[in-house]
Amino acid sequence: MSAALLSVRDLRVRFATDGGHVQAVDGVSFDLAAGEVLAVVGESGSGKSVTAGTIMGLTHSPNARIEGSVRLDGRKLLDADEAELRRVRGDRIGMVFQDPMTSFNPVYRIGDQLVEAIRAHRPGLGRDAARDLAVESLDAVGLPEARRRAERYPHEFSGGMRQRAMIAMALALEPEVLIADEPTTALDVTVQAQILALLRRLHRERGLATILITHDLGVVAEVADRALVMHEGRIVERGSLEEVFYSPKDPYTRKLLGAVVRLDRAAPLRPARGTGPLLEVAGLVKHFPLKRGLLTERKADRVRAVDGVSFSVARGETLGLVGESGSGKSTLARTVLQLLAPTSGSVRFEGREIAGLSRRQMRPLRAEMQMVFQDPYASLNPRKRIGQIVAEPLRLHGRATGAELRRQVEELLERVGLAPEHYDRFPHEFSGGQRQRVGIARALSLRPKLIVADEPVSALDVSIRAQILALLADLQEELGLTYVFVAHDIGVVRHVADRIAVMHEGRIVEQGPADRVCERPSDPYTKSLLAAVPVPDPRESRARRASSDT
Amino acid sequence: MARFVAKRIVGAAVVLFAISVIVFLIFNVIPSSDPAQNLAGKNATPTLVASITEEWGLDEPLPQQYLTMMRKIFTGDLISYEGREDVNERILEGVPATFSLCIGAALIWMFFGILFGYLSAVRAGGLLDRALTMVAVTGISIPVFWLAAIFLNYLTYQLELFPSGTYVPLTENPAEWANHLFLPWVTLAIGFIGIYSRVLRSNMLDAMNEDYVRTARAKGLSEHRVMSRHVLRNSLVPIVTLFGLDFGALLGGAIVVEGVFNLDGIGLYTFESLVNQDLPPVMAVVVFGAFFIVLFNALVDIAYAFLDPRVKLGEAAR
Repeated sequence: MSAALLSVRDLRVRFATDGGHVQAVDGVSFDLAAGEVLAVVGESGSGKSVTAGTIMGLTHSPNARIEGSVRLDGRKLLDADEAELRRVRGDRIGMVFQDPMTSFNPVYRIGDQLVEAIRAHRPGLGRDAARDLAVESLDAVGLPEARRRAERYPHEFSGGMRQRAMIAMALALEPEVLIADEPTTALDVTVQAQILALLRRLHRERGLATILITHDLGVVAEVADRALVMHEGRIVERGSLEEVFYSPKDPYTRKLLGAVVRLDRAAPLRPARGTGPLLEVAGLVKHFPLKRGLLTERKADRVRAVDGVSFSVARGETLGLVGESGSGKSTLARTVLQLLAPTSGSVRFEGREIAGLSRRQMRPLRAEMQMVFQDPYASLNPRKRIGQIVAEPLRLHGRATGAELRRQVEELLERVGLAPEHYDRFPHEFSGGQRQRVGIARALSLRPKLIVADEPVSALDVSIRAQILALLADLQEELGLTYVFVAHDIGVVRHVADRIAVMHEGRIVEQGPADRVCERPSDPYTKSLLAAVPVPDPRESRARRASSDT
Repeated sequence: MARFVAKRIVGAAVVLFAISVIVFLIFNVIPSSDPAQNLAGKNATPTLVASITEEWGLDEPLPQQYLTMMRKIFTGDLISYEGREDVNERILEGVPATFSLCIGAALIWMFFGILFGYLSAVRAGGLLDRALTMVAVTGISIPVFWLAAIFLNYLTYQLELFPSGTYVPLTENPAEWANHLFLPWVTLAIGFIGIYSRVLRSNMLDAMNEDYVRTARAKGLSEHRVMSRHVLRNSLVPIVTLFGLDFGALLGGAIVVEGVFNLDGIGLYTFESLVNQDLPPVMAVVVFGAFFIVLFNALVDIAYAFLDPRVKLGEAAR
């Protein structure tokens, strides 16, 4: 291996907070050789993004204390002054961020934002020449009609196009190093596959040294040469992909690999369930009118969010509802629960038609069907105690009061793996996984028959994700619950669902037993969705690429 | 754009109608406000009062009176009860003084509001920020009439640095125009400078945490450029809304400042008319002021479309 292009030695970053010091990065050392893709893997709070930001000199906070050394081509970066750092940023090290929706300034045209980056480092370059370079760069990342698109604003781009443009901006000046911080996390899986293929191509063509920061082991297997695993600010494992994936030494790495839900592994066989349908949905339609007009709002057009969907769920069964963003899966979930009024179609719960029932008529039925939400941070009222949050449905439905209420809530907390002492705590005192447990306890409080879970684990780290999925499975077993499990990640869905329905543009394009849909998909969209899921297995991933990526 | 304009015109008509009806009703329900009695003077005979009532149409039903008054506002035939002046003419006479006062004050408060807000945000938590915060809070807290009185007492009467109010037309003598308006400008602007700098500061502090600001730094832009092009530029959008509302409202008459500095503008005229319970001028000024508020709201929306490309005129919010 040639001499290191970028070398990080004993990097330590400490933040002073109200609650004392937080050692975000704790003695991190690594080398990045020219032309190599190094993956930095870790869960949230592991210090991986702080490490990347510190390399670029972007850890600005006055509360931060930074020690150690970062050298680019032998030149020290940590002690460099602002002017020197500016010359490095964007010119020698390019950076791509997680969320392409928010990483461009919404008020400037895409092309202008690239030109700004180019002219910051090549002041001698004329405006037109800089623009040509920007267009060329956009063209190189596979943005069709780059010259015309450069005149567009960020909000006129799709997520995938924005991330291409972000990569184009990072690479416009041909830096030696690219730091990509969760570059595909905010993208749909099919778009992610395109961006990963782009990164691989750029790497192959330009020999760009890349630091890829990700929590997703599948992404690592797809593009990286080497991997570092970070945990609580330290590197706990390092080596080639073969070493990290097939003979991990550190227990944390083993736990991380074990927690990954894999699409290509069938879920453990469960006893056949189902004694007649609990929920039957037929021809369900939900359109949102696009309102226009002067005083009267006439319906000019409509968004067909759910466009004629039929399915049924048997008692005790789990139906997985899979789709990418905008497929209508969340709208479908809410329409089924009558949280949104359907435009037309029928929803039968225990044989009774509930579509079109009034709020008052729905109220007793609400206890029977509950929802678990995606974001455990936003779906719990921060000003209420955990006990109050879980007790609220019980109080509203008049199921219990006083000491009996408290006893029932404590029992529920225990059932979802929390302690009764947690009753008087506030949501901010809990981690994401614990909060999701609170959300589940709240949903369970009225002993519902049906639980609709909308992306219940997508905001959680992989190791926490596995725990929550196990909890859901145990509860189903114990309480005979029926689940509709909505998710974008077909791997997760396969793990929990008996049957899978795939949604695309408001319709169910395919439904059937989970194993059949995943192994022998019949619909072309399902096939493309399955092909796009990265496999957290470097050998398999290589084999798959060899057959498609050439 | 055509839809936007049409929508705005309809909106303006609704607002003007509602406001004028409310003002009209208030004047007609408050006690001891028989305009005929006022017009006739202290020792009027009942016959005189009756003939005035007849002449002015004050015995007609209220809706009829309202319609007549509104028609007169728009045809320019409105006559005040007090002094029987042409109301629209008086308002037009007040326009130069009021507009000079408001536009000058607006330039001052926008300049210093943005400057102080920017410096506070860039140096957030530092000494300069704390000093500017104190200045801003003081400026917001000081009542305008008190400040005006203090200025007049010390700067005009004791030190004789500035002339005492009264309006000198710009066309007559530009230097004197500015000299006479300087104190009123500062008095009017100080509170707004405080508010605008605080709003801008918090907008900028929010914007500094945005992902696109991190992107701008990662591109290698200078700190100055990051702040001006990315942070300040995006933070100005809400300031424009605020400005449109405040400025439109002020054009209807900066009543207190004009009153204290004896500037013969719309505000002073409004003040006098209110004291005399003179309904026609008050109605006209209210309609005039409401028109400017609606107009400036529309201009703000147009400015929005330029400042933020995600905003499209004429599309209903989704």
